[in-house]
Amino acid sequence: MHTDSATAFLIICSAMVLFMTPGLAFFYGGLVRASSVVSMMMMSFGSVALVGALWVFYGYAISFGQAGTGKYFGADGIFGIDLSKLFVADVYQQAVAGEGLNLVVAGFQGTFAIITVALISGAIADRAKFGAWMVFAALWATLVYFPIAGWVFNFTTTNGAVSDGGWLVYNVGLLDFAGGTVVEVASGAAALAVALVVGRRFGFAKGMHAPHNVPLTLIGAGILWFGWFGFNAGSALAANGTATLAFVNTLAAPVGGLLAWSIYERFTIQKPTAIGAASGAIAGLVAITPACGYLSPSWSLVLGALAGVICAAAVELKWKLGFDDSLDVVGIHLVGGIVGTLFIGLVGEGVGLLQTGSGLQLGRQAIGVVVIGAYSFVLAWVIAWVIQKTMGFRVANADEIAGVDQIMHGEQAYSEVDPRWTWRP
Amino acid sequence: MDQGNTAYVLLTSALVLLMTPGLAFFYGGMVKAKSVVSMMMLSFGSLGLIGVLWVLYGYAASFASSDSATFVGIPGWFGFDTASVGLSKQVAGALANPVSGNYPEMAFVAFQATFAIITVALISGAIADRAKFGAWMVFAGIWATLVYFPVANWVFNFGSDGTGKFGGWLVQAGVHDFAGGTAVHINAGAAGLALAIVLGKRFGFSKGISQPHNVPLTLLGVALLWFGWFGFNAGSALAANGLSSIAFINTLSAPAAAMLGWIIVEKFRHGKATSIGAGSGAIAGLVAITPACDILDPSWGLLLGLIAGMLCALAIDLKFALGFDDSLDVVGIHLIGGIVGTLYIGFFGRGIGLVDSGSWKQLGLQAMGAGAVLLYSFVLALIIGFIIEKTIGFRVKAEDEIAGIDTVVHGEEAYAFGADRG
Repeated sequence: MHTDSATAFLIICSAMVLFMTPGLAFFYGGLVRASSVVSMMMMSFGSVALVGALWVFYGYAISFGQAGTGKYFGADGIFGIDLSKLFVADVYQQAVAGEGLNLVVAGFQGTFAIITVALISGAIADRAKFGAWMVFAALWATLVYFPIAGWVFNFTTTNGAVSDGGWLVYNVGLLDFAGGTVVEVASGAAALAVALVVGRRFGFAKGMHAPHNVPLTLIGAGILWFGWFGFNAGSALAANGTATLAFVNTLAAPVGGLLAWSIYERFTIQKPTAIGAASGAIAGLVAITPACGYLSPSWSLVLGALAGVICAAAVELKWKLGFDDSLDVVGIHLVGGIVGTLFIGLVGEGVGLLQTGSGLQLGRQAIGVVVIGAYSFVLAWVIAWVIQKTMGFRVANADEIAGVDQIMHGEQAYSEVDPRWTWRP
Repeated sequence: MDQGNTAYVLLTSALVLLMTPGLAFFYGGMVKAKSVVSMMMLSFGSLGLIGVLWVLYGYAASFASSDSATFVGIPGWFGFDTASVGLSKQVAGALANPVSGNYPEMAFVAFQATFAIITVALISGAIADRAKFGAWMVFAGIWATLVYFPVANWVFNFGSDGTGKFGGWLVQAGVHDFAGGTAVHINAGAAGLALAIVLGKRFGFSKGISQPHNVPLTLLGVALLWFGWFGFNAGSALAANGLSSIAFINTLSAPAAAMLGWIIVEKFRHGKATSIGAGSGAIAGLVAITPACDILDPSWGLLLGLIAGMLCALAIDLKFALGFDDSLDVVGIHLIGGIVGTLYIGFFGRGIGLVDSGSWKQLGLQAMGAGAVLLYSFVLALIIGFIIEKTIGFRVKAEDEIAGIDTVVHGEEAYAFGADRG
């Protein structure tokens, strides 16, 4: 059957994207204190379980509903649910009949939902209740991620042009190859809202919270980068020329970001740090996500370097403005996502200002960023506020100071530590 | 266009890219806790820098076709395809979504990029605990430009149409190197030796003085390297075909045998099999099978692994005997392992080795390939390293080395398990 190759490609890409969420757990886990690494990792692993289940149950039916099937309820292209897609029933029947590609696409999209939710958790490190986080994750996924995934990812093409679909991709004409708006801007905006609601950690000040395990963070960065190839190249939904371009750009932008962030550090704090290098790579990956199918590798280098410098400067914002976005979800994902999405409007192949002389696409990109950023921010703020006022989002002060792992999960990450690991000059 | 092969080349590229972080952890676990950040940054720094150079001009230098009208240089030795600078030619090819051909050239660009990156990163093991990050980055950029890109051209660049009209001089001469025993391992190992000589010994350099600070981190690195190596070797077939399945099986069997060989040697010499030994043995087997993975029957692959594991376990003691501080055994594993694997083809290569053909010709060719790359890389690395040492300085100050270079060079400590642990 002619779709065998595409099916194999997407099965493996899906596995790679799923691997990103444990990778994120390690990336975030290494950055927090030794007494809250279990809690940090559990917020990502909790998302895998919860959002994975919701996706199969009704998430796919909301995100990829098609009006006009007779079982669709809601406003076409904005918010609705296709009852024939509950429990991925329709694509499952196709797979049983021998054509598995659409079922794999449903699985591929499920891994996107999972990591988007997990990304938010970086904003509330060291101080969130696990139960409250899980409630937030479920509500945010249902009310924010599932609909906006429909706005951008749910479309049909005829002769290469979008002929129907979510309102942003079809009516507005937003270009977002792999989720710069849906994944990065949405999670970054939600992270800002949650950081504001939950409030600052004790002793929130620059330099107070040193990462407890730099190698663990780099393990996370390595796994994230690996998985991101599946994320971006897989978003072509076929192993074609566009996928190869997306793949090379997923190498070019993060290397640009890594170098740029390191150089930026060299000139600001005199020393290039490993955490900075890893963050630069992630910033480049975030920025190239929407653009990886629309740029040449040379422009991707530029975008990566730009994102590396802008995000390196943006992570300082939290100190100035006083919101405790603990692990820089805003500085990297929100800002990086905006940079990448707008960059398409400037130099995108065949659509950007540079080639067409028209600012039309830039305007479309800006609409996508603003709509998704605002929608996610407002909803996340309301959901988190309600949780905070009812069950409480934040642990007791004493528990936060003692470390949340023991209170929340009854576990210590490390039972015995080699004294050689603790080194003081 | 064959979607299956395109998918295959892309996914194996992702596997190979993961090897460089894997290498960072393999190396990182073996050094002291106060220089692990520096060690890992030598790998991550290569990833950043070589990735950029590859897009800008690395691919154009390594894979220029001398048939092309836009070629500048000496065919087979050193040259440039100006149309490929910045990958502009390849972008057009990819966006056209070609209907003919095996896969878009852009997929091959990605695959080979990951090779360039890891080859440079491999060298860093020779200069653990004592190198300046900035100096390393300068070295990496120059060595990649003057050594890796041309050598990749000598070995990996040939016309896939089989006409043999263009190709690197080594591959045209008939040297068999499937996935980079010469271009990757001998190349990196020889450069590692040169740098170890330029930088000199660490303080207190003697056997047993430097214990790994984090064995699980090293084994995690081994696992990621092995995982990625399936992409490295099987992916070098550039198609999901019979050849790639042979390469894949050999990438399983040779390191397995090498791991056994290494720990057997350890058992007899020191009484105990170590986990670092098992990890190093697997890497030695992977190195040795790299050039030969397509052309050996799996039983010969097992024997090669066993030999490589045993030889490399002995070879890593050379540095103490000869007094060069190849800190993490880049020479003992990559140079020696690469030579063993490359020469082994001359004996047991299917159809071309001494056993099958009764002729010494292939062995001579293999020796020429190994020798040429070794010599070129060693001499150039020595010169580049020497100039850097004399100008900006390659090595940190003695007191910084003793204090630990992580805080001095990167302003970071790898672990904070002390005062603020709840």
